[in-house]
Amino acid sequence: MAKAEYVKFVDVTKCDGCRACMVACKNWNDLPAEPEAFQGSVQSHANVTANTWNVLSFIEHENGKGNLEYLFRHSSCFHCSEAACVKVCPEDAMHYTEFGTVDVNADKCVGCGYCVQNCPFDVVQLATYKDKNGKEYKKAQKCTMCVDRLEEGMQPACVTTCHTDAMEFGTKEEMLKKAEKRLGEIKERFPNAMIYNPEGVGGTHTVYVLAEKPSVYGLPEKPKVPTSAVVWKDYAQPIGKMMLGATSMALVGAFVSNKLFNKEGKDHEEDGGGSHE
Amino acid sequence: MKKSVVSKEYQKLQKDIIRLQEQWKTSLDPDCIRPNHDKAAMEAGVPVTALAAIDFDISLFLQWIEDIGELLSKYQPELEKVMESIKKLLDEETAKRWIDEAFAFNHIYFASFAEENEVDEWIPQFLAETLLRPYLQLTAEKVQDEIQYGVHGAGCPVCGEPVRLAQLEDGGKKVLHCPRCLAHWHDKRITCSHCGNEDHETVQFLTIEGDAAAQIQVCEECKGYTKVIDTRQYIVKPTSAMLDLNTIHLDFVAQENGYKSAGETKQTN
Repeated sequence: MAKAEYVKFVDVTKCDGCRACMVACKNWNDLPAEPEAFQGSVQSHANVTANTWNVLSFIEHENGKGNLEYLFRHSSCFHCSEAACVKVCPEDAMHYTEFGTVDVNADKCVGCGYCVQNCPFDVVQLATYKDKNGKEYKKAQKCTMCVDRLEEGMQPACVTTCHTDAMEFGTKEEMLKKAEKRLGEIKERFPNAMIYNPEGVGGTHTVYVLAEKPSVYGLPEKPKVPTSAVVWKDYAQPIGKMMLGATSMALVGAFVSNKLFNKEGKDHEEDGGGSHE
Repeated sequence: MKKSVVSKEYQKLQKDIIRLQEQWKTSLDPDCIRPNHDKAAMEAGVPVTALAAIDFDISLFLQWIEDIGELLSKYQPELEKVMESIKKLLDEETAKRWIDEAFAFNHIYFASFAEENEVDEWIPQFLAETLLRPYLQLTAEKVQDEIQYGVHGAGCPVCGEPVRLAQLEDGGKKVLHCPRCLAHWHDKRITCSHCGNEDHETVQFLTIEGDAAAQIQVCEECKGYTKVIDTRQYIVKPTSAMLDLNTIHLDFVAQENGYKSAGETKQTN
């Protein structure tokens, strides 16, 4: 049974930059700390990483009146409805969950990195691990929207910890309604305010109310699934598989015809079997 | 992470029962319950239902027995016969007695009733309790606005059920919820709801690893415990009755650690 589609609604105008969401995420998902050098601002990491699934970005912005605005944004995976990472994944490791969010199946992921290259928001990253023989291998990592909590009827960790209620979690319909209402309230103070729920990726499951244009926050104005990703998944891959099928059929055919018509081959096989003893 | 240890089937049965009780409650005439708004009694911790005048409707009672019998035999077909025999036993007088004894939680009466009539021991009290709850819940609804705080040690201000479940709500407020009559009232965060102990040294918390939204508040003074569930973390808030059922593992943990669902009163000279 399909469950309700949920959305994380982030109202950046309520955020006070406390970074508790980052801590809650690390804590719940058991992610290791990543010591970072000073970035020249209060922001801790330049971007999300494979082990830091959400980063509070701090943007110093000069508004229309020439005043400084300090803008905060909880940045993590957008959980696109038409996700480029899902599109390009050759192993079906990137997938949609029953809640409409996007998750990685670590067992299937081969660490090819196509998702990293194609994510329009630079969210997916590869984490490096070592197996018991010391050999390195990689897996794609990103925010899971705490799918393990959703399955138990609980909200994502970042949302529950937010003390200013800048983040809320609920059904898509309810959250979009709230976003509209909030936009009406802040338009006077932030004339450029907008709801960021880009259509180019089919809408997202993390919906923002931004105080400024997306570019101010370093977000693409009109993100979309890269054409190359569409070409790759919808055309190249099926054709490749067809070709693979054709090659396999040729191999099977060759094998059968060899078995039937090549008597010398049979003699050779018997000889080979004897020499092993 | 696993939030409940209760099987899905049993949860479903309980949900069905709660749905029935909800229907029954709406079929009751709101005026059939006339609570006594005696402030002094409430302040002394007398449950509201003890003093309320309740007009008891026997025809509804028999209809409800029919409903619950139907539901139970859907889950356990062998109960159909038992329910038939119980229906025959219930005349007006017995039904009234059942409600009274259920309210008094007189398990001795129900045990002997079961023995006399050769039915499983759990059945009479379970039925009576299930049928009593719509009355309790309607009473709670009527007086909810007047209930802000309870009296420590007196249990639920509406039905007298011992306190065992609290929820953390907006702003981190601790709100005690009665899973029986669904009344709710406030209490201080670091206070034992059984004995009123406010000493932070002796009011402690047990937590279950991996259970992010639950803690058990225990009191070293009276050895009472309260399950405190942070339902702000839930996507959809469950009813108190289901929440109580789904957190039953916490009761086991608390009781295995020597705490009780009703605290002890210390005897002093």
